[in-house]
Amino acid sequence: MSTALEAYFAARIYQEGRALRRTTLRHVHLADPPLAIAIWRLGGERFRAAAVAWGPLDGPFQLAVAGEPRNRDLYFAALQPLAADLCARIRRAAASRVARQRGSVTEEIPADALQIVVPNSATVSALGLLGRYLAYLSDRGGVAPDPALVEAGKHLRFYARNARVPGQSLLTALDQLVAGHWATLLSPFEQANLAALDAQIEPSPGMHPFEASAVAEASARIGPEPTEDIDRLTETLLAQFNAARGASTDPAITEPLAGPLREHYRGLTEPVWQLMSRVVTRERQLTAAPSVSRRFESDRAAFGRHVDWVVTQGGHYRTTDTPRQAAITLRRLEDTLARYEADRAVEDPALMIGYLLDGDAIRGTVASLTETKVVVNVNAVRRAVIALDSPDPVILPAGKRLWWTATAGGEPWEVKSVQPNGAGSRVVLMLTGRPAPERLPVAGEVITLSALHTGQRAFWLLPPENPPWTHRPAVLLPVPEPIDAGDFEQPPAPVDAAEAQDPGRYT
Amino acid sequence: MTHHHQADPAAANALARVRGRAPEIRANVRRLAAFASVHSCPTAAVAFAARVDTNRVLAGTRMEMPFGQSPFAIGRGVAFEALLRRHGHAELRRVLTAGLDTDFTFAAIENLREGYPPNRAGLRMRATVTRTRMAEIAGSPADPVVLDGAVLEADIGGLPAFFEADEMAIGVGGQIIVGENKSWPVVDGKPTDEDALGAALDQAATYVLLGRRTLGQAGVDPACMSDSVVLVTPRNTGLAPSLYRQDVASRIRRIERLLSAVPDVQETAAATPASVTFDAVADQTLPESARLEEFGEVTAVLGRVYAPASCLTSCGFAWACRQRLFADADPGLVGGQVARALPGIASLSRVAELGQGAPASPVEAPAAVPLARAGRLYDEVMPPAGPAQRRTA
Repeated sequence: MSTALEAYFAARIYQEGRALRRTTLRHVHLADPPLAIAIWRLGGERFRAAAVAWGPLDGPFQLAVAGEPRNRDLYFAALQPLAADLCARIRRAAASRVARQRGSVTEEIPADALQIVVPNSATVSALGLLGRYLAYLSDRGGVAPDPALVEAGKHLRFYARNARVPGQSLLTALDQLVAGHWATLLSPFEQANLAALDAQIEPSPGMHPFEASAVAEASARIGPEPTEDIDRLTETLLAQFNAARGASTDPAITEPLAGPLREHYRGLTEPVWQLMSRVVTRERQLTAAPSVSRRFESDRAAFGRHVDWVVTQGGHYRTTDTPRQAAITLRRLEDTLARYEADRAVEDPALMIGYLLDGDAIRGTVASLTETKVVVNVNAVRRAVIALDSPDPVILPAGKRLWWTATAGGEPWEVKSVQPNGAGSRVVLMLTGRPAPERLPVAGEVITLSALHTGQRAFWLLPPENPPWTHRPAVLLPVPEPIDAGDFEQPPAPVDAAEAQDPGRYT
Repeated sequence: MTHHHQADPAAANALARVRGRAPEIRANVRRLAAFASVHSCPTAAVAFAARVDTNRVLAGTRMEMPFGQSPFAIGRGVAFEALLRRHGHAELRRVLTAGLDTDFTFAAIENLREGYPPNRAGLRMRATVTRTRMAEIAGSPADPVVLDGAVLEADIGGLPAFFEADEMAIGVGGQIIVGENKSWPVVDGKPTDEDALGAALDQAATYVLLGRRTLGQAGVDPACMSDSVVLVTPRNTGLAPSLYRQDVASRIRRIERLLSAVPDVQETAAATPASVTFDAVADQTLPESARLEEFGEVTAVLGRVYAPASCLTSCGFAWACRQRLFADADPGLVGGQVARALPGIASLSRVAELGQGAPASPVEAPAAVPLARAGRLYDEVMPPAGPAQRRTA
């Protein structure tokens, strides 16, 4: 992103007391309503969701509170309703299929996919860890865990891994969504706080966005990792809960006893739920960019393949990629990122500004459209030539290839010359393909050309099935295994910072 | 034997005056790592030299940053260390044996946390024992040895400081390997927290560097300290320990550069104006506005460098500095990258004017052209907004 544009945004927001939109369109699919999930963990316990709230974002949330999340029986009993509901929603979404034609291949993909929204990227990681834990549960004393927990674990792992795909919307972290759509006075580091972002966009009346976000940052609590004040209260309530239940895990006894902890987490979750709801409602008001539906179609296809593998075939995923798999995944992620960035800028003039300022795009008025003949191989062929008057100076080398935003998926234009023209430049470009009318602008039209294109990228071969010895791991890849051995350990006692000799060492 | 030059009394007095009634903190490896993140800031440098606990100076004001820790997180860490030491360090012996291909079943494990007074004199005694044992490990490679709670003494900015490690100094075949315990889990061979991993490796690399200096002073080849370190962390959901080994040579080189940037206490004392003190800033009997005003005065005299990501994670002054930047309309508010793109332009208000096409002075001209262009392009594509709350700063 252009630093000049960032500086301009910061100055205008400072001066006008209002956050600014970075985009004219919405570039992420938003279901109506999506399923929202918010998590609170116990401090330092990365696999223990002390509370999970979930539900469609247009209504109240359901709340699972285990009481003592480090007790396997209590934890699984609390997570079971979430797991069952998640599995049912995913199966329902994947049940109805539509045909998708790609070239000569027709495939059946789900007509819809379950979209999950979470407040921040940290929750995406937390769901991934929870999924890893649940997806490979061991039997306890020969008693198999509830299959819904295992299936939900596989779903959560899939969602968390798929969240790496640029532009995907199956699992949307709202902090990233908002930061991508709005310019604020927050640095990239501070943008991880959804409450601060929201406060900059809709500050309290009379407050400058900076002041509003500073207040939100100090007061708002968003999981998954609890702050010290949250866990001090949790510690007290948890101690009371454990003392009252003794060793009992009988729901008839523990459910009523968990009431105070449930209220504790309900009080923490309600503002987060309202925050997520407000954010999604606001972002949904923007018109979706044309490519959003295509990306969501890719999401639906990935979702369908996942459900087929896990639900229909009962499959598991590897927990560690093979070198070949890692290479393919990396290449696909890079290609998807390039395409996503191109789609966004080509469709959204506000996002093209950064490319114009950085010299990766030019905008101007078509001064003339002519035709010439050039020799390609041995044949003389027709080629269109335009002269483009840019109001700004242009620095581009001859031979540079640019794509007109109206035909960003087609043939590029090649820069033939750049000459000074008043305060700006005149750029002469030649179309590198046949001059069909739909590929040509008209004289007097204001057009934008950039280095971004949305067409098929170069064909690439898959790596060999049997990689050479240089790319084979030195040791065998670990076999997916249960990681729940710690469920049978005694939970560590909490320790107050004032009682620890050097509390900082445990960060 | 190490030789530290003592800070002269005048410098010590000057720094005590700078500190005033602000809480004091001794140098430790985390404090050093935190300072390394903000070492280019003059205010942070003076606070570090004067051993001011930046996390607690602004206690009781809106600008106090929440650096507290969950009691569950601390409890987990305490329980993990206790597990490693239980039954004659049985778990530690097991994990080292499995991870280092050497039998630690009968290794000598010396726990330096016990038997020494819990004060500075005790740390000095432990540092002496550590130095002696490290030389012995290098000289007699036959038997594996572990020093639990080793202490290294080093000059930091001209003052002696003690650094307490976890399993610092695991002796294997004449090599000394630094070990560090962390209670975050490893799953499928991968750490669950990349940031925490980086911080732990930096910490271990600091111990390697200080250990090499200690060996050098004892006349022992510093190359005995291995470039690779081991982290002992829980594996999966429980506390069962596993060993994670990694080469940290590049981190050692980086930390060496950072340590050389630590300000010299005496030079800092000499260069700090007599008016500078954190005394009133930390005075909880004063109104908040007065304390923050005093803080503003201190930073105005010393200067400040605000980098959001490093300051907000490492320095207790970050919120207060950010507030000052906002009040001053300083472009650094949103990060150094933006500020560096605006040479010759002092305030965001001026940036806004240039973005609206105001004539630029010669010194502003290089930055003004893209700003004006950004403003024009943005206005072209964005529909006009409603009335704004205009700031008068």
